[in-house]
Amino acid sequence: MAEAATLTMRGIAKAFGATPVLHDVDLEVRAGEFLTLVGPSGCGKSTLLRILAGLEAADAGTVSIGGRDVTGVRAADRDLAMVFQSYALYPHLSVAANMATPLVQRELSAFGRLPVVGPLISRGARKRIAARVEEAAEILEIHTLLERKPGQLSGGQRQRVALGRAMVREPVAFLMDEPLSNLDAALRVHMRAELAALHRRLQRSFVYVTHDQAEALTLSDRMAVMRGGRILQLGAPDEVYNDPATLEVALFIGSPRINTLPGETDGAGRVSRMGVPLPLRAVDGRAGPATVAMRPEHLAVRSFPSPDGLTGRLTYAENLGADVYLHLAVGDGAHVVIARAEPQVAARLSSGDDVHVEQVRGQALVFDARGDRMALAEEAAAVEAVA
Amino acid sequence: MTRQAARGHAHLWFVGPALFLMFAILLLPIAVAAGLSVTDYGLGNLSNEFVGLQNYERIFTRSTYEKMFGATFRYVGVVVPVSVALGLGAALLIHSLGRMGDLYKTIYFLPVMAALIAMAIVWEFALHPTIGYVNRGLELSCGTVLERLSFFAEGCDRTFPLWLTDRDTAIWTVAFIGVWQGFGFNMVLYLAGLTGIPRELYHAAEMDGARSAWERFRLVTWPMLGPTTVFVVTISIIRSFQVFDMVEAFYPQGGGPSKSVYVMMFAIYEKGVQQNLMGIGAAITVVFLGFVMVLTLLQRRLIERRTHYV
Amino acid sequence: MSDAAIAAPRVESQGYRFPVSETIKHAVLIIGALIVLFPFYVMISLSLKSPPEILQNIGGFFGSQETFIDDACLIVGGTEEECLKNPVVYNYTTAFEKAPLVRYMLNGVIVTASIFLIQVLIALPCAYALAKLRFWGREAVFGMVLFCLLIPVHAIALPLYVMLAKLGLTNTYAALVIPWTISVFGIFLMRQFFMTVPDDLIDAARMDGMSEYAIVWRVMLPTAIPALTAFAIFSVVAHWNDYFWPRIVITGDRTLFTPPLGLREFKGDADGDNYGPMMATAVVIVTPLVVAFLLAQRRFVEGITLTGMK
Repeated sequence: MAEAATLTMRGIAKAFGATPVLHDVDLEVRAGEFLTLVGPSGCGKSTLLRILAGLEAADAGTVSIGGRDVTGVRAADRDLAMVFQSYALYPHLSVAANMATPLVQRELSAFGRLPVVGPLISRGARKRIAARVEEAAEILEIHTLLERKPGQLSGGQRQRVALGRAMVREPVAFLMDEPLSNLDAALRVHMRAELAALHRRLQRSFVYVTHDQAEALTLSDRMAVMRGGRILQLGAPDEVYNDPATLEVALFIGSPRINTLPGETDGAGRVSRMGVPLPLRAVDGRAGPATVAMRPEHLAVRSFPSPDGLTGRLTYAENLGADVYLHLAVGDGAHVVIARAEPQVAARLSSGDDVHVEQVRGQALVFDARGDRMALAEEAAAVEAVA
Repeated sequence: MTRQAARGHAHLWFVGPALFLMFAILLLPIAVAAGLSVTDYGLGNLSNEFVGLQNYERIFTRSTYEKMFGATFRYVGVVVPVSVALGLGAALLIHSLGRMGDLYKTIYFLPVMAALIAMAIVWEFALHPTIGYVNRGLELSCGTVLERLSFFAEGCDRTFPLWLTDRDTAIWTVAFIGVWQGFGFNMVLYLAGLTGIPRELYHAAEMDGARSAWERFRLVTWPMLGPTTVFVVTISIIRSFQVFDMVEAFYPQGGGPSKSVYVMMFAIYEKGVQQNLMGIGAAITVVFLGFVMVLTLLQRRLIERRTHYV
Repeated sequence: MSDAAIAAPRVESQGYRFPVSETIKHAVLIIGALIVLFPFYVMISLSLKSPPEILQNIGGFFGSQETFIDDACLIVGGTEEECLKNPVVYNYTTAFEKAPLVRYMLNGVIVTASIFLIQVLIALPCAYALAKLRFWGREAVFGMVLFCLLIPVHAIALPLYVMLAKLGLTNTYAALVIPWTISVFGIFLMRQFFMTVPDDLIDAARMDGMSEYAIVWRVMLPTAIPALTAFAIFSVVAHWNDYFWPRIVITGDRTLFTPPLGLREFKGDADGDNYGPMMATAVVIVTPLVVAFLLAQRRFVEGITLTGMK
């Protein structure tokens, strides 16, 4: 039984024809962790996963698994398992045969795989394989479906079969390429929980590709946010959410999206938002335009305007039951700010009202003109500086 | 009249003509053939006697018809497997080349487009025992190292094969031309089937440890082409059973050397149209239809058994 | 490259693997292409050469293009100067002069065009009804279509011939067209295609006040163009090249000959030195379809894939 291993990629670059897809990417997946590659479509996350799998060759860079350099090793010899977006089940084989395929291909001799003669030669090995398929099917609760063909299964069942096919072999790591994207919303949430449980049970490294930031936040030990062929930030979900390194990361992670308003910093590092000074000071005092960003749930409705708060006209109240997201037009309607409110607070408001909001939790994030996060001085000091 | 009512009647006008023509042109003639096959009818003849199963008896006892079955089954037996295998082989090679394969695809499909009667005449000239390109090409080997091979030694010594005019080679030569003409069609169908195979299945096979091209073929390509194969084989059987143009062009009288190329369609034509023996021609027609239908029904059974996973 | 990656996922060796296996593939395909193209080469080459060059097999592909004396012309009393001919000009002019080749080609166009138009006229509404209308007996009609797919029209040619003869229709355009007016394959193909057209499109047309007839011709016909193109190619190829059926129903009346019959007639009275004009005729008959295919081949392949014949 293989142990969980560290997967390391160094300096990976890849271009399809003249189009670069990956620029000098470094990534280390720690043994046994659940790492998510998340980013919008076309960011290179799937390509990175396929290079790790060995299905695609990198133009430059090295891949190693458990310290062994596997850059030139084909996918079949890397001891990895993959779950595909379309599940890629063999439609002509039963569920049991699908799940047995990786074992049959690896553990039976060429003669043992022959159609008619094979089962006679390799009876013992086939029994062991059947037992392992049975075991995996029990875990995934698909043991009643083993004789069916994939075409007779629902999407969720196919998903489990694809997982089962990956599981039976006990590989060093599982690679998953948007495995839940073909399921309906309710099933997706359910399968998320199952995947997390499966990861705890198997104790293997999972590398999981998704474009859904919610999936990345809920599942990962660490997540790598990708865009334009680069990893923008790699860290635990909390860290990426609360402490995004760039504006792009901040915009991509979190739903509804983080609010951004134009601002600037002066030579002393003092931050203002749409001309209004804020009790914030950048450590690196450069004068220039900046973007001030606030999470919707960090804002709260106030009865009166506050000096560093915002006032906007309510254009739309998005009712999600537990919360209501207020869409406010601020700054002559040029910008929209979304604030989370309790339903009972929102109930008192109607479209067209002027609503005052204030940052009550956390801190506004400030990004410079290039979109890089600006470090802020300790809050007390900042307030002092403004005073 | 409401629109609902209009829609209610539309299908009669839509389906009616097709239904009528299906009856008149496809089903009625079968009945007519069955009816004629138990008579000694001939166009313009006054006599039209019921002769029972006499025509069928002849078909299954006389040596002419034994030759007919022999020639037909030899032809079908060669052309179907060879043209299917070549079609698949060419499709696999061309598919693996990507865009570069397009030129081959075009070339291999040309014989399907070209009128077989014209190409048969060309082949007949090319295979002419003395002035044909083929034997003249083979004669070039005389005096070279190739002459050590017995085929060339015999050819240079006496004559190279007479191809279409030798009763031992005629049917195989005709079958070769049949393959030449038909495998490109199978290739196009297989190419369509190949493009329909999701690439992820090959990637899954690779992850599952299928290392060689043969294993990928066995695990993914061949099973995924199952429905295509059934269709290709059906089409090939129907087409090769109907071989006629070449035979009539090469051997307008009597079906080749010693009737070795006396295929069924030619027999129907010769008996029914040329000799006005409608009864026997109709009986061959019925037997012929029986073969084609049984074979295609068997195929369809296979389709139904194999495609329920789609 | 994408497919090459599947064929050979061994990443490390991609640099030098490429040339070896690709070269072998190309070599195999080129040999195949040469065999496939061989008769086309023979046909074109012979159509360019003079009779002595053909009989002595000299002059390479194009022939020497030296003028030669046409014996037939001498016999009818021409002077030597008048009978001095350029081979290409002689072959092609003879092809058009000796037989009314233009008339044959025109007949071919009339027959194939009529067949295709009537087939669409009958098959399209029927296919629409089978795919999109609910009516009593629909399953039975479709079952009959499936059954009729088993019947090769050539196989029932003899009873059809008897029926047409009884109606006094042999040696008419009608005889050439009528048996092909119903294409169950066309119905099946279109029906499969229409099944993929969303019902919403038809309901939207109904909401816009279109009658069922208007839906067929103004909504379904345009959406079916890709499938129709594929079917058109099937139909035109089959009937332009068809030799068997015209051979049966057109006896003697040369004004009704289709191109294959014209070519066959040429062969019937060909002696050795008429190969040139005969091959010229073959070239003229084969060229239109080959050119059409070269122009429309992508649509053809798309059409096959799209109509789900897998």
